[in-house]
Parts: sequence; structure tokens; C-alpha cells
Amino acid sequence: MSALVPIAWIVAGYAVLVAGAGALGVVLKAPRPRWLDQMAWMLEALCAVLALGAVGSLIQGHRPASMSTHLGYVAAVVCVLPVALGSVREDRDSWSSGVVAVAALATGVIAVRLMMTR
Amino acid sequence: MSVNDVPRPKRGPHLVLMALYALFILASGSRAAVQIATKFHVAPLAYLLSAVAAVTYIVGWFAIRRAAHGRPRLAEVMLWVELAGVVVIGTLSVVRRSWFPDASVWSDYGGGYGWVPAALPIAALLWLHRTHERVPEEQKETAS
Repeated sequence: MSALVPIAWIVAGYAVLVAGAGALGVVLKAPRPRWLDQMAWMLEALCAVLALGAVGSLIQGHRPASMSTHLGYVAAVVCVLPVALGSVREDRDSWSSGVVAVAALATGVIAVRLMMTR
Repeated sequence: MSVNDVPRPKRGPHLVLMALYALFILASGSRAAVQIATKFHVAPLAYLLSAVAAVTYIVGWFAIRRAAHGRPRLAEVMLWVELAGVVVIGTLSVVRRSWFPDASVWSDYGGGYGWVPAALPIAALLWLHRTHERVPEEQKETAS
């Protein structure tokens, strides 16, 4: 279970970086660059690793204080970014970078909450 | 400004607002559902108010979407209702702590969520004001 903590911190730190890049895109009023999408998908891959780790620890018998809350965070951490990226798939406007920023920041917060409820 | 310069409803700051509302639908809705299902007796008022907040965010999401398509009436009402909810419940949670053995989404003006619940309706109202201040001017120019 302790292995989850560093992964969650990596997810949270990288999420802040992606959110900052997205926010910068909004401030600069630049069309959403492809590399922001790639950064977001990289974050999603890290989230998948975190979720797999959380599920693995549950399979090994670890029981969090609130199972429903913990499972909710596991589901949310992998679902938020794909839904956000899907909603702005055909929109490269600068405000779509803001949507990526919001989703990345939320993912970081969820990763921290996942760690706190483990 | 010509008709061609008018931003398409799909684009604009409302996208970010809608993303935030969607997140709060998820956060407050799942929180209320879990709390009502597992420990409703602990703080029934707080948990019901979290459910009310979730419903408000759902209606708010649709209201912003409608406003972005030029129909701001629902948003004009809902955003003020939401702001009033945050202020009233936030104040009650401070002055009547015994009514809230556990926190609701709007307790302490949304302090549990980084005060985003308090900032969200204000940001949305500012967006609404700025967007629909421009519309009559655009309509005048289109008509001429």
C-alpha cells in the first residue's frame, strides 16, 4: 500500500504541471497545442497506474476506512481526463486548454484524496 | 463587430465554467449519495443540503449551456439561487454549528472545496453579464 503514496504524489505533481500549461494557453489566448493533449494523456496513463495499484492493494486484502469513497476516487481518477478531453476533441480554441487545466487540477486533487482515504 | 465575428456558442469561457460545474456535479452528487446511503442519521440536514447542491449544479450546467446559446433567462435565476445557497448555508454552518454535525458541500462557504463553490456562481454571473451585455449591441449592428 505504501507504494501508492509516491505514485499519487507523482500524479499530483504532474497534474499541477499540466494544469499550469493549460492555464498558460488560456492566458496567451493560443490555440490548444497537440503537446498539451499528449501531456494530458501521459497524466491519464499515470492515473491508470495509480488506479491499478489501488485495486491491487484491495485485492491483497487491504481495507480502507470507507470502501465506497475510496472506490469512487479510484473511478474518478481514471475517468475525469478522458471525459474532459473528449468534450473538447474537435475544439482547439484557447478556452479548451482551460478545460484540460480544470480536469488536470481535479485529477491531482483526486489523486491526493485517494492517498488520504487508502 | 460583424455577424462573422460573433463567437460560436461551442467556444468561450463557458466551456471552463461547464467543466467546473460538471466536476461539482460529480463531487457533490457522489458525496451526497454515499453519505445518504451509508450514514444519513449522522447529519441528515447537511447530507440533504449536499444533494440540493448537486441538483443546483446540474441545473446550473444546463443553464450555462443555454445561456451560451443565447437563452440566459434560466442562468440569470439559477446562478443567483446558487450564490444565495452558498451564502445562506455557509453562514448557517458558521453561526449554527450544531445543525451541521458533518459538513455539507456549501459549509464554510465551500471551504472543503477550496472555496470554489463560492467563486463559481460569481464567475458565472460575471461571464453572463459580460456576454449578454454584448448581445444587444451585436443585434443592433446585425439589424442595421
